[in-house]
Amino acid sequence: MTIERHETDVLILGAGGAGLFAALHALQADPDLRVTIAVKGLLGKCGCTRMVQGGYNAAVLPGDSIERHFMDTINGGRWLPNQDMAWRLCTTAPERIRELENEVGCFFDRQPDGTLHGKAFAGQTFDRTIHKGDLTGIEIVNRLMEQVLARPVVRLEEHRAIALIPAEDGSGIAGCLLIDVRRGIFRLVRTKAILLATGGGPTMYRYHTPSGDKSMDGLAMALDAGLGLRDMEMVQFHPTGLLAGEDTRMTGTVLEEGLRGAGGHLLNGAEHRFMFDYDERGERATRDIVSRAIYAEMSSGKTTPNGGVYIRMSHLGPADVAKRFKGMVKRCADCGFDLAGGLVEVVPTAHYLMGGVVCDAATRTAMPGLFVAGEDAGGAHGANRLGGNGVANSTVFGGIAGDTMAAYVKGMNRAAPELDERTVEAAMNAALAPFERPAGDLNGLRERLMTLMWDDVGVLRDAEGLGRGIAGLEALRVDLMATGLADTGRDFNLTWHDWLNLKSLIDVSEVIAHASLAHEGSRGAHFRTDHPDEGDLTTTRFTVARRSDQAIDIALEPVDFSIIRPGQSLIDDPELLPAAE
Amino acid sequence: MGSIDSGSQPAANGKLEIKIWRGRAKDGAFSAYQVPEQAHQTVLDVVTYVQRRIDATLAYRFACRVGMCGSCAMTVNGVPRWTCRTDVKTVARKGRLVIEPLRNLPVVKDLVTDMAPFFDKWQAAEGRLQATSDREAEVATIDPASPERKAADAGVECINCAVCYSACDVVTWNPDYLGPAALNRAWTLQNDERDGGKAERLRAVTSDGGCQNCHSHQSCTEHCPVGLSPTASIAGLKRMATRAAFGRGPR
Repeated sequence: MTIERHETDVLILGAGGAGLFAALHALQADPDLRVTIAVKGLLGKCGCTRMVQGGYNAAVLPGDSIERHFMDTINGGRWLPNQDMAWRLCTTAPERIRELENEVGCFFDRQPDGTLHGKAFAGQTFDRTIHKGDLTGIEIVNRLMEQVLARPVVRLEEHRAIALIPAEDGSGIAGCLLIDVRRGIFRLVRTKAILLATGGGPTMYRYHTPSGDKSMDGLAMALDAGLGLRDMEMVQFHPTGLLAGEDTRMTGTVLEEGLRGAGGHLLNGAEHRFMFDYDERGERATRDIVSRAIYAEMSSGKTTPNGGVYIRMSHLGPADVAKRFKGMVKRCADCGFDLAGGLVEVVPTAHYLMGGVVCDAATRTAMPGLFVAGEDAGGAHGANRLGGNGVANSTVFGGIAGDTMAAYVKGMNRAAPELDERTVEAAMNAALAPFERPAGDLNGLRERLMTLMWDDVGVLRDAEGLGRGIAGLEALRVDLMATGLADTGRDFNLTWHDWLNLKSLIDVSEVIAHASLAHEGSRGAHFRTDHPDEGDLTTTRFTVARRSDQAIDIALEPVDFSIIRPGQSLIDDPELLPAAE
Repeated sequence: MGSIDSGSQPAANGKLEIKIWRGRAKDGAFSAYQVPEQAHQTVLDVVTYVQRRIDATLAYRFACRVGMCGSCAMTVNGVPRWTCRTDVKTVARKGRLVIEPLRNLPVVKDLVTDMAPFFDKWQAAEGRLQATSDREAEVATIDPASPERKAADAGVECINCAVCYSACDVVTWNPDYLGPAALNRAWTLQNDERDGGKAERLRAVTSDGGCQNCHSHQSCTEHCPVGLSPTASIAGLKRMATRAAFGRGPR
């Protein structure tokens, strides 16, 4: 198959909030830098930043403070976050909001007096979530996209990265191998620095919220390159995803949190309002508790026709519901559901991966020249992510990555290293291998993966189920490797990419399962029914997964309480404040 | 290619009769498929079913699957639509669907178009903020109820799906026409008090391919899936151009 070569100084993989900000910052730092963005879909039109409904947490409003935002983030993350990253997130978010407004062109909602409006979001002690209605992500990504399109950035759209290529001399990263999806050829990019910003996105679960293009390619490549992945058992589930039946793409997409907050009821298949059986706050309990309660109802068979539960809003007055939740009601109506007046089936749905590549607050990884930001990076959120901290995380660290990479390239002061051609060769062979084998039931394998992850590595976990899940994943890998594709042309061959997606998803699913088994306790998003206790916060350890040969090794490393220890608070103990950078 | 929808009618035998345009660039033809009808089913679900279960070679584009990314627009029974949010029942005629790529854009393969011209025109219309402030300054205090802000807000939630661009006959007649989405974005910026590029942008949108080409057929407004009115935005630009011609400058 054809291979075309391309040279650049900085290669950005992904064009969500992290990738687009990295491009802008890298060029601001050094306008002569050659910057290339490669993205699996169209620039600004795929990935999850665009799908952000809630908003952006930043301590910019009077009465709030960075210390308060930081404490909410640490408490929300159940003391598992990398504190330096969480601190950098909270200190930089206000600057990023001003940058988005004043330089990029976003316009966030105002109060009547013309100042920014902050909305309330669960788990926070201040109404600090800056937003644009309930479509904040579209505003952020559209404006970023416009600015990037106007700059001298080389765009490799509909290019899927398949392997990080190390330097021949072992000095660090040297490039990346991609498939040009439209043309069906390989493209090999030699570069001095790479940003991994493809976005995690736990789409290996039967019910999931992320954009359909996502398949954990970034983490699968990092694993192949020998990097450590932390907190991989931390998969956040949103309690109310739409359930529309088999073979429907909209299944799993989020019905917003506010429906429960406003007084919506959750009913099981027998139309019994069950949440008070689990928590005295009923439907207003936190995301994790509601998700576990629904999952438990589902596991005991008390389900609706499609296997979920119902959400009911009609008792609040259909006309009022239609007015207050206009977007959600319209979305449901477009798919044939009456949210305002009827019952709509919902399920918990895999929403966000807190885990990711081990890195520092400057986005550096263990491999020189390789940087990571956004959902591909691990550490900022610990065991749970606050609503509104996702887009803050991707834009804050994307910008930092742009700054860091520009400085790195400048300091390098030589050409990009030679590529390790053996890795290139092996990655090309692996990507083409399915064309050598008889076509099989790829969709059946995908269904098996999604069911397995949902049943055995899902909202509630135990050692027995996880063991079953790990065995099932091994069998799936064997079956995928035996399943091929009809070779009918490789240009825009979606089924080839489905195969590659499945490969990435199985690779990362194995890590999630192994990390879940190794973490014998329950913390944040990770719940083990055989180890329900949270454990001692002061001796908190986090999982780090690596692949050696074909096995996944999990190490448990102690959290470095570099700023505060459990029991302390930056709000009560201001002397603990980190020195300014 | 006018509107030939005629409301909802069920399939005869529980099977939808689907015709999909297949091919590369201009060289193609329709292929027929049968897809089981389901209680809840979007046009994107139908296309996905064909690729996953009937013909693995079908190419199409989608991403968010929930009406936010604007990647999956196609021509459905003659009408440009966002397929992830279009219930089959509301558009099928006797269980029949004809699915084609968006018109007015080059076809890459099957249902996939090259959206580059659409985004090139977005840029040609100066569709981005020219900053007058920076990250060191506070966020501007802006009255959300001012007429300018309300005009900007009315047009700003575009998802750049290119449905309007595909629906517009003027784009078909004049490939240089900037089109509804790009002009709509320009209008929102002309009403953004933070922007410093208004004179330059007004020149861009009143050039040969600019707002004066619009015949106010309103196809863009009729088909916009998120309920925007590019027609109104373009009319605003025309008024602004007229004012400028009489020396009163953009406002």
